[in-house]
Amino acid sequence: MSTTALPRAVEIYNLVKEYPNPYGDDFRVVENFNLNIQEGEFISLIGHSGCGKSTVLTMLAGLNEISDGGIIVGKKEIDSPGPDRAVVFQAPCLMPWLNAFQNVMLGVKNVYPHATKAERKQIVEHSLSVVGLADAMKKYPRELSGGLQQRVGIARAIALQPKVLLLDEPFGRLDSLTRMELQDVIIDILAREKLTAMIVTHDVDEAVFMADRCVMMSNGPKAGVGEILEIGFPRPRNRVEVFQDPKFFEYREHLLAFLEQRAHFKGSSRTFSNGDTMGYCDIIGEELEKTATARASSVA
Amino acid sequence: MADTPKDKIKYGLLKFIDLSGFKVFDPPVRLAFGEDPKKQISEIGKFMILPIIFVSLCIFIWSAVAPTHKTKSGAAPTPKQVWGAWEDNSRFGEREDEKLEDYELSGEARTARITEVESRISELEAESLKLEEASTIAAEKGAAITAKQIAPLSAQLDELKAEIKTAKASRKIALENLAAKVAAGESPASSVLTLVQQQSETAEAEKEKRKILDDQIKEIRDNPPESIKAAQLAANKAADEIQHFKKRLDILNTSNKEVKKAALLAKVDTDEAILAASTDPSEIISKSKSIVTNTENAASVDEQRFAPTATIAWQTKRSLATVFVGFLIAAIVAIPVGIMCGLNKIVMACLTPIISIFRPVSPVVWLLIFQIVVGAFFLPDPAKHPLFTTLNQDYWFGWIKNPIAFLNTNPAMIFSACTVAMCALWPALVNTALGVSAIDKDHLNVARVLKLGFWARLFKIVIPSSLPLVFAGLRISLGVGWMVLIAAEALSSSDGLGKFVWDEYQNGSSQSFANIILACFIVGIIGFFLDRIMIILQRLVSFDDGSSTA
Repeated sequence: MSTTALPRAVEIYNLVKEYPNPYGDDFRVVENFNLNIQEGEFISLIGHSGCGKSTVLTMLAGLNEISDGGIIVGKKEIDSPGPDRAVVFQAPCLMPWLNAFQNVMLGVKNVYPHATKAERKQIVEHSLSVVGLADAMKKYPRELSGGLQQRVGIARAIALQPKVLLLDEPFGRLDSLTRMELQDVIIDILAREKLTAMIVTHDVDEAVFMADRCVMMSNGPKAGVGEILEIGFPRPRNRVEVFQDPKFFEYREHLLAFLEQRAHFKGSSRTFSNGDTMGYCDIIGEELEKTATARASSVA
Repeated sequence: MADTPKDKIKYGLLKFIDLSGFKVFDPPVRLAFGEDPKKQISEIGKFMILPIIFVSLCIFIWSAVAPTHKTKSGAAPTPKQVWGAWEDNSRFGEREDEKLEDYELSGEARTARITEVESRISELEAESLKLEEASTIAAEKGAAITAKQIAPLSAQLDELKAEIKTAKASRKIALENLAAKVAAGESPASSVLTLVQQQSETAEAEKEKRKILDDQIKEIRDNPPESIKAAQLAANKAADEIQHFKKRLDILNTSNKEVKKAALLAKVDTDEAILAASTDPSEIISKSKSIVTNTENAASVDEQRFAPTATIAWQTKRSLATVFVGFLIAAIVAIPVGIMCGLNKIVMACLTPIISIFRPVSPVVWLLIFQIVVGAFFLPDPAKHPLFTTLNQDYWFGWIKNPIAFLNTNPAMIFSACTVAMCALWPALVNTALGVSAIDKDHLNVARVLKLGFWARLFKIVIPSSLPLVFAGLRISLGVGWMVLIAAEALSSSDGLGKFVWDEYQNGSSQSFANIILACFIVGIIGFFLDRIMIILQRLVSFDDGSSTA
């Protein structure tokens, strides 16, 4: 794997999220979650609802307290949120009393305290035009559709020029056409800005199409990394090409198989001592083919 | 929708109606622009005509029931009487304004006004004479009618009186005869008792009959024909009008500002002349003194104001000013404290006991407390306290016209305002705290990710997002304040609608009863409009509402 040579952008080691239980036995949502992310890499985190994938992301964002273990971003252990880890939330979370421009400016002012007014304005305008909202800067959230609102959310995140872009089910509330548009927007941005990113999703296609590596989480409680799947498509990616590639279906089936079978078995999560995981793409054996044919026949 | 200018006007109007909450006027506007007339007419029927009919019905029931309820100050006022009270009060107000104007007039305007008033007086006098005559004639006619109506009744009464007299005499004889028989032992003693009892019963029955006739006559006498009343009223009104114009003439001629000053200065001149020629030392002293005082008085005439009379318009203005000041104090205190409570749980915990204990306290108690506590600041002589001398000055710094001088601010007004503030404080405070603590968690997360500082978070996120609830609280506060104010004014005798009601109650005539009902309507209508204003403000700051545009 050539990517291992690149410096690590994020290191997550033995991450634990524990919710105290009033009767003494604490409830561990996430346990021993280990993951290294290389610079410029795009990770997708997939798993069943409630398995704790959003918890991992919010801990990485600093919005959720870390119970044990740690996260290092850019050689510094994190303990609070910050603009080096911009988040795109599931809801656009725009301030309804500010227009698109002002919403993006909100963070820019803080992140670039020494920039002149014109410079800040340029940054905001640039990030809004990157997401295709050059014409809608003066519009208020209520005048924008859900998809356009989420674009503002993305613009707000990238305007901070973060080290890591965190996407928390960003397209969960959008219809599939808008979702595809926004996926392309994100992919374009990442290709251009060379950002490290992590996306939490439960859409298998999205996880495969967007990411360099798919991290499959086992089911909670005590969820951890179940498997990691290397996605071998070259970048920049083209939707049509990727979706026609037979490998796409292999990856997809692999993920589905994991989600349908392995994730349910307790104790099946595989953690690796060094926090790194080898790719699983080479062992899509007969087993998976079987599932694929079974599925096909069931559909027929 | 086509964007013709007509449509623009239409949708602009509809938007305004929606914003101000007068949804009822939506169908008429749409109808006026010809949109789906059938639907609009049915809407108008349901939501305008029916309510109007219902309210008319209520008024009708009121006017039917009111006269039947006799109170110690006459029958309860009918809607008509209340309307009359409104007319009387507004006439009174207009007259006071005229007098004030006359007081301020000077130069040629004054002489012109004098001739105007004089000619009006002569006109009115002629008219009044006629009305007086008409009234006398009507009274005579009425008296004739009454006499005619009474004549048969009084004949009956006379007859009855005569009958009663004879019956009484015969009863007396019968009783005496029986008594004589009893004395002679011809009848048992108990028969006398029976007869006495019988006789007293008949006497009672006779009295009853007489009373009925008396009442009938009295009823006719007390209720002369309406025409007499009307003529009398018209004559009185004319006489009243003449009196008013005479008073105006008096003001114009003698107590006018300019005239007063001129008279004083003339006196100074004559005194100076006398002083120059005088050789008597005591005269020199007295004239010098008089010159000094008169010069001073002449100078002070400029600063003198025509004392504001308690017209209902003036009382209303004072009430509005008081409630505004009280509301402002409440908002200034409640919003920052509410924000602190919402932001910090410890502050909330510290203030919760205070809020919970003082919120239910009656405004009356607050008023008394403020009279003592705040009153202490105005000792020893409230009238000379710098606050009031400043607020009641005609000109500030000698050239800025004081717009609130007419309010005649006094300690009682301050106490009422403080009471209003104290009672209006709580809803605004609680709602602000609620609004701040109920901020969307996502918004706070955004603020955390963006690493906004305290002030940026406060002004960019916390305050804007809690504004709708803050304004909802302020709206309740203003409603509470207005309600409390009327009670506070009544109790503290601070001039205003509350005092108006209280004074009228103390007056206790049938007219004052109508005045109280009138004040009730004025208070209600003003309260309604204050609430509307707050609704509009609330809607303007509500970002979720499509009607707000920045």
